[in-house]
Amino acid sequence: MPYGIEALNVYAGLACISVPAMFAGRGLDQDRIPNIAMSQRSVGLPFEDPVTNAVNAARPLLDRLDEQARGAVEVLITSTESGLDLSKSVASYVHEYLGLSRNCRLLEVKQACYGATCALQLAAGFLAQSATPGAKALVIATDVALVDERAGYAESATGHGASALLIGDEPTVLALDGGAYGCYSYDVLDSARPTPEFDIADGDRSLFAYLDCLAGSFADYQDRVDNADILSSFQHLALHTPFGGLVRAAHRMLLRPFGLSAPQVESDFARRVAPSLVYPALTGNLCSGSLYLALASVLENSADLDGSASQRIGLFSYGSGCSSEFFSGIIDSRSVAAVRSMGIGDQLASRRELDFAQYLDLLPHSLKALVPRQHAEVELGRWSEYLDADRSLLVHTRTKDYHRAYEWHGPLGSP
Amino acid sequence: MTAPARAAVEATVWQVVGSILPAVPREQIRGDKHPRELGADSVDRVEIVMTLLDQLRIDRPLSDFNDLRDLDHLVTVLLASERN
Repeated sequence: MPYGIEALNVYAGLACISVPAMFAGRGLDQDRIPNIAMSQRSVGLPFEDPVTNAVNAARPLLDRLDEQARGAVEVLITSTESGLDLSKSVASYVHEYLGLSRNCRLLEVKQACYGATCALQLAAGFLAQSATPGAKALVIATDVALVDERAGYAESATGHGASALLIGDEPTVLALDGGAYGCYSYDVLDSARPTPEFDIADGDRSLFAYLDCLAGSFADYQDRVDNADILSSFQHLALHTPFGGLVRAAHRMLLRPFGLSAPQVESDFARRVAPSLVYPALTGNLCSGSLYLALASVLENSADLDGSASQRIGLFSYGSGCSSEFFSGIIDSRSVAAVRSMGIGDQLASRRELDFAQYLDLLPHSLKALVPRQHAEVELGRWSEYLDADRSLLVHTRTKDYHRAYEWHGPLGSP
Repeated sequence: MTAPARAAVEATVWQVVGSILPAVPREQIRGDKHPRELGADSVDRVEIVMTLLDQLRIDRPLSDFNDLRDLDHLVTVLLASERN
């Protein structure tokens, strides 16, 4: 029985800033924008955190399930490098505010930007041995940005948001190719979050590790899958997208053994890779949710998929530190319809665009989003202009004795 | 390491750096410069190393080039990779 992704949604916040505005505000070299290959990045608001991002990504998936299917969610895994506590997991909050069964198994994983892919594979493995017909798992990749001018060019490429994946045995969005995967991991400190207040990154070390991992994990995939090659086995490719320029370099690296001309490489990139970059170019890096935003982008922006038969997509997940996996699955026009129905593109378009001064006003709040505080109140009234009365969203309102509290804003109330 | 071998690798490095950074005057591409000082962003630096490995037919992990000090050091690492 095939397992995979039954439904997929992405929440990428309520605010964004254009990359040219970021470059101008920071006095960065505008000539570098083409290599970053991004036009906007999502920006967090003071009432948003990893819990609200996760819940706001997942609720639209659960709202479409009937009571029986909702009760069949037996596993909830949050993947985050934006943990709120060294012991209590983000998953425990998310479980509560999504109203999932108290018999649901909970887990939080941390493996940098690879975490959600490992969680997807773990969830599929769990479901394969579950005794419950139609059992489902919910995997949510959720993160926030902790970058300011100290991050240099990376500040403009860092996103904010969550990707939610409903996993089961009716994999409309992506049917995993069973046994078709390759992994590659080793110890390196290329980027990290050593405290709840800032990130560190070594650009060259991280890019080289990403590319070495892509080569290594695909070689392992080829060892497991007869006759696989990157040029002919996959009609589409989606790669973890810290920024589009790295994905373009990765594609060039993968095609080097084939001796193609530059125009041939460019044509292949435009057809098989570029559709995956449309949404990431509007959000910035969503950490382990990035690959699944790229998958949604393929499904909504590839001209090859409408009305077509099944096609194979190759997917690459990389997490700093480092760990990686190349795997594959099957998509078709039903996948397109399922993701299109979530309105991800419309949500991205509806974000409020900030100018640089507004961004600077929000930045001190964003940088404190993960800092433990015994007591705190969120001044919701100060930021209410960002909330649409017609859209139901979870917001962080206060913290009491280190326990965060949230409320539903909008027409629906608690699920 | 022989002088002619080093000269050949240097010539390839200078040519590749010049092709990826066409706006940089040739006289500024010197051994004591890091590609970053010549205006290469992170993608340019990846492209420089990948192109050199391709042209010199060297099969080494990119992470071997993590800690480059300058172009002279890049030449030295490439020569060591060739011997391996």
